[in-house]
Amino acid sequence: MQYSQKVLDHFMKPHNLGKLDNANGEATEGSPACGDQVSIWLQVNEDTQIIEDIGFLSYGCASNIATASIITDMAKGKTIAEAKDLSWKEAAEELDGLPPVKMHCSVLAVDTLRKAIKNYELTHHLIKEDKAALSKELVLEELGKILYPKVGEDLISLKMVKYAGVDDNGVVTVDIDIPKFDTFRENVADEVKEHLEKLPNVKEVHVNL
Amino acid sequence: MEPIYMNNCITSQPAPEVVEAMLPFLKNKFHFPENFIRTGTERANELSIFKQIIAESVKAPAAGIHFTASGTEANNLAIKGYLEANAHRGKHIICSVVDYPDILTNAAYFEEKGFEVSYLSSDEYAFIDLDELQEELRADTILVMTTLANHTVGTIQDVKTIKRLIDESESQAALLVDACQAYGRIAIDVDDLGIDLMSISAHKIHGPQGIGALYIRPGTSVAPTKHGVNRMDPLSTGSLSIANIAGFAKAVELAFTDFDENIKYIRDLRLYLFESIERKIEFTMLNGAPCENRIAHNLNVSFDFIEGEAILMMMDQYGINVATGSACFSEGLQANYVMMAMGRNHEQSHSSMKFTLSRYNTRQEIDYVVEKLAEIVTELRRRSPLYLDYIEKN
Repeated sequence: MQYSQKVLDHFMKPHNLGKLDNANGEATEGSPACGDQVSIWLQVNEDTQIIEDIGFLSYGCASNIATASIITDMAKGKTIAEAKDLSWKEAAEELDGLPPVKMHCSVLAVDTLRKAIKNYELTHHLIKEDKAALSKELVLEELGKILYPKVGEDLISLKMVKYAGVDDNGVVTVDIDIPKFDTFRENVADEVKEHLEKLPNVKEVHVNL
Repeated sequence: MEPIYMNNCITSQPAPEVVEAMLPFLKNKFHFPENFIRTGTERANELSIFKQIIAESVKAPAAGIHFTASGTEANNLAIKGYLEANAHRGKHIICSVVDYPDILTNAAYFEEKGFEVSYLSSDEYAFIDLDELQEELRADTILVMTTLANHTVGTIQDVKTIKRLIDESESQAALLVDACQAYGRIAIDVDDLGIDLMSISAHKIHGPQGIGALYIRPGTSVAPTKHGVNRMDPLSTGSLSIANIAGFAKAVELAFTDFDENIKYIRDLRLYLFESIERKIEFTMLNGAPCENRIAHNLNVSFDFIEGEAILMMMDQYGINVATGSACFSEGLQANYVMMAMGRNHEQSHSSMKFTLSRYNTRQEIDYVVEKLAEIVTELRRRSPLYLDYIEKN
């Protein structure tokens, strides 16, 4: 398993590095505990809705830095509507691919960009805070953002989620099908827990493997 | 600059003398040991000399040395073979949360098989809790396992006290020591330490890959774990590479020639590396015991606000090979369990870098490594939102 030359180039000399002082949209995603955190700042032209400038900072591995670098490159000059549609697969392709265990870095970079755009939209009253109620659909949507590191695809596409349920007390139960001696068993359980605990009104998360 | 290798706890470069010693066995001395015929007895005699060299290095009788294909195979033969032969005496075993994966995965395997396992906890330096050991030892404890020098932070366990506690308890437990990191770096006398089973490996001490050995105290029963043709040793069936064994013996000779000076050289180099890092880079933290209480070649340091895989990848771009405890570099994307058991947080584990030196490293190399490391740490901190946060708040 190795990084593409393009990943190494973006890692050694990242583009759009640094906080923007005149940002009108920003977001931070990930956490130091997980080993990756990305902050993105946007400067959006309020007339055209075009992202005129963008900056990022990253605490994370080489591919975390490279994906943040490429996603900011890709978003720059686009309208917020266009930028919102950028997918993590496109970002990974733009880097000439990522090793499967590193695909989640691409998800985090895209997620941070979308959150920064949402932050701009909220502060500029373009959208209202969506107070989505906790539901099975919301849980499934979140599980669709978690990748199985062995192959770099999400848990839903891989049909690894055997059951997902939500009760009235905010208890979420998820059954994941993962082989007993799989190297990534603990990682997947931790990721599912972390992601679902962030959802609104969640009191408890039970992950059964 | 030539590539710089500071990852000797994983594997080490074979000494040129080792390669030289192996060559004849890859050419015309290719036979297996056999009785009566000339070529066979020649190989058998050479094999017994090699075995003697390795046995003497740990003050053991040659009959106690059994070659295996690796340190992991030695650990597996020791644990599985001993437990199978001794399960009738009890089903309780003891190890610690900071042991090498060979021990921990075997412990988990035997837990599934109905054994009870006590996992001793660790202090902030990765020393195992000896009071807990005293409490856990009981009549049906048949095996106590420990890792002589910790593979992550190099902490050397007090094996003499472990043995004394076993002796003072009602248990008749055997003492198994994984010495793969320690062997060739500290003096080991199996009788003095009271070791019953001990695994060692050639490629950690500039020998070839693919050969290890298990010391079994004469009288300790160990069942074979691999069944098949007996070429050299009924406990290690099949064929082992005699070239590798020749290389192993040569590596041992080299490691134990001028042993004290060799170790002092590596110890001084490690101190120089540590002091240079401390002098040139701020916000660092030493992981593990203070330098005098750890294996000579190991240094493990965390660098705040940044992540170890990124440090490692940049070091790699400069031709420097080191290791990290970062989850992003681990097989299962998990924080390093030794670091966590020592009470470090995830961030400190992710930012930990492990340098393991050898007699082939030089002060010039250390100067270059620290110079590059300082540049890399500065650059990655410039990119880090955590560092920005810290600067803005202070």
